[in-house]
Amino acid sequence: MATETLHLPTQSLPVASDQKMAVSSRANAPQSGNIHPFEFTGSAGEYFRIWMVNLFLTIVTGGIYAAWAKVRTRRYLYTHTRLDGQAFEYTAKPTAILKGNLIVGAGVVLYFLIDLYWPTYNLITILALYLVMPLLIYKSLRFNTRYSSFRNIRFQFMGSLKESYKTYLGLPLLIPLTLGIIIPYWAYRRKKYFFDNMAFGVSGATFKGAAGHFYKIYGLILILAVSLVFLYMIGFGLLISQLQGTMKSMDGFGTSIVYAIMIGYFLVLLVITFMQQYLYVRENNYCWNETNLGELRFQSSLKVGKLLVIRLTNLLAIVVSLGLLIPWAKIRRTRYILENLNIITSSSLDEFTAAIEPDESALGEVAADFFDFEVGL
Amino acid sequence: MIRFQATYFDGQTSKAQAVVVGYDGQHLSLHSADGNIQLRYFLKECVITPASGHAPRIIKLPDNQQFESGDLNAVAALEVEAGGNRGMRAVHWLESHWKPVAGCLAGAMLCVWAFIVHAIPFLAEKAADAIPPEITRTVSHKTLSVLDKRFFEPSELSAEKKTDIQNLFQTIADALQVDFQYQLAFRRSPQIGPNAFALPAGIIVITDEIVELAANERELASILAHEIAHVEKRHGLRSMLQHAGVFFVVSVLAGDITSITSTAGTLPTILVESGYSRRFETEADEFAGRFLIGQGWGTQPLQDMLQRLAASHPDFPSLTWLSSHPDIQQRIENLRKLEHSHIP
Ligand SMILES: [Zn+2]
Repeated sequence: MATETLHLPTQSLPVASDQKMAVSSRANAPQSGNIHPFEFTGSAGEYFRIWMVNLFLTIVTGGIYAAWAKVRTRRYLYTHTRLDGQAFEYTAKPTAILKGNLIVGAGVVLYFLIDLYWPTYNLITILALYLVMPLLIYKSLRFNTRYSSFRNIRFQFMGSLKESYKTYLGLPLLIPLTLGIIIPYWAYRRKKYFFDNMAFGVSGATFKGAAGHFYKIYGLILILAVSLVFLYMIGFGLLISQLQGTMKSMDGFGTSIVYAIMIGYFLVLLVITFMQQYLYVRENNYCWNETNLGELRFQSSLKVGKLLVIRLTNLLAIVVSLGLLIPWAKIRRTRYILENLNIITSSSLDEFTAAIEPDESALGEVAADFFDFEVGL
Repeated sequence: MIRFQATYFDGQTSKAQAVVVGYDGQHLSLHSADGNIQLRYFLKECVITPASGHAPRIIKLPDNQQFESGDLNAVAALEVEAGGNRGMRAVHWLESHWKPVAGCLAGAMLCVWAFIVHAIPFLAEKAADAIPPEITRTVSHKTLSVLDKRFFEPSELSAEKKTDIQNLFQTIADALQVDFQYQLAFRRSPQIGPNAFALPAGIIVITDEIVELAANERELASILAHEIAHVEKRHGLRSMLQHAGVFFVVSVLAGDITSITSTAGTLPTILVESGYSRRFETEADEFAGRFLIGQGWGTQPLQDMLQRLAASHPDFPSLTWLSSHPDIQQRIENLRKLEHSHIP
């Protein structure tokens, strides 16, 4: 790959002149522009070493290093993600994440104590968690975007706390009332909350997606799930009647059922994995393709089949290697996802402006960052 | 003198500008070919961000400016000049070499092993001692009511049979000089079958099915003694606390709390916990075995009882009394050895 040389300043200049040519030809084809692919230059070996050192230091320090580990992992993934010759940057301070971890840790200890001493109040703690969840999601999105930058311009999350409560507390409450009909709409609103509120410097993103598309995606998942349950029940019924005919002893019968359940479990796992990847690919492609950053557009072209093969081989590798291949798997998946993401723009990437933002309060610096939002970048 | 090429960003716009960076022993200077950029700062004023893999290095300048350079050797030399960042430089050194990484792998495995085998059981025992009896009582009663709803029906044993078992239990408890206030709970459970449970506060549940399975009073006594051991040694509370400990370890290893619920976290947790429960079963068997030997019956009644239980659960391993099938033979073997070691 040519990525090692792309970042050299002398070679980033010709790229700019290419863009000027693209601008002149723009009049004929208004939809086209220069395509800049995302590149991922991370390597499994390097990432494995970082992962191992993180694991060791986290254990030896009794979990304190986890905050530094998170920053080092993120920094590795960000700085090895390149666009038009320049790398992304993750600039969060580990101490802010440590604060967040300590708060979460205290919460978990409190939960265990309440569970042990006053089990009747359990429901209240779970309720409290539901109530603060939208706040935590909002904080987490703000934190992670604020400390992500590209070409020394920070990203920003412009969504409001009120919108977070509507999206993550209000809508889920309506799900049982509407018999689940609004689930795709809820997915749409969650994506909209993220994609419509992202900003790069002063340039805010707009998400033009519509809820209808999510109904298509989820409809297919539903059909698949229902037919799966149906097939599984038929298969299981057939198997039992077959076995009852041939097997005389109860012992053999029991063992066969155990095997049948195990095979069934793997089949279900396979189909669930397929559904997850399908959902991820369809949602991800749609959301990126419907998002604009000023005149700049995104293009994501992931394939369900490819991502499924990557996921399944990754799972197999992780199990066979007793977890040692987790970093390899992560790099492989990240590479596939990023290398299928492009931006299309007819102007140069040189023209974005930084936003003037006041520094957040000390409380705002606390990373409420323990839900791994899979949003790409 | 250190010189290298870099890309400069002013922090106001996303414009990338090629510069040449020089270091004269005190100042860092940046020059662009067209002469538009002429900057000079003390190295002390600049922040060299830690290295990460083979990615280009970023150096922060005052007023939100920064530059990026792919000349990793030059920036590393500059980093040595600046002197700071020692911790992260050491970490990056570890991350860049395979041998120390192998050491980290071995060290991590050793730490986890030691923590799981020694620290968690030790801490759980200490913590179990610190938990006040009232708490134990409420927890136990709550557990029993949950079990009643889900698995149990009222016992169908005759009143005389119950009194006989009560009396038998009292003699065992007296002989063992127990510390707890015990309460026997009789239940029928076609769902669970022959089994017995001990709840932390001293409630011992025995199913009608296990009473029927026992061939004689001695076999029943062996089960009761085994369950008394679970209570006396606080196995119930300790396993709850150990569960919390394993939860903590897995969450540290997995990196965050949410991943515990995923399948990757479940298997190791189950393996570790079945190891713990095997240890407790062995301990309770030994306790019961000593009691039986003390009564002059030998460990045969418990061995027979285990054999019968194994036969009554042909395929599906049940919890509590029989943690898993092949273990039964091991437990019987242990009891046999225990008896031999007691022969004068
Ligand atoms: Zn037991």
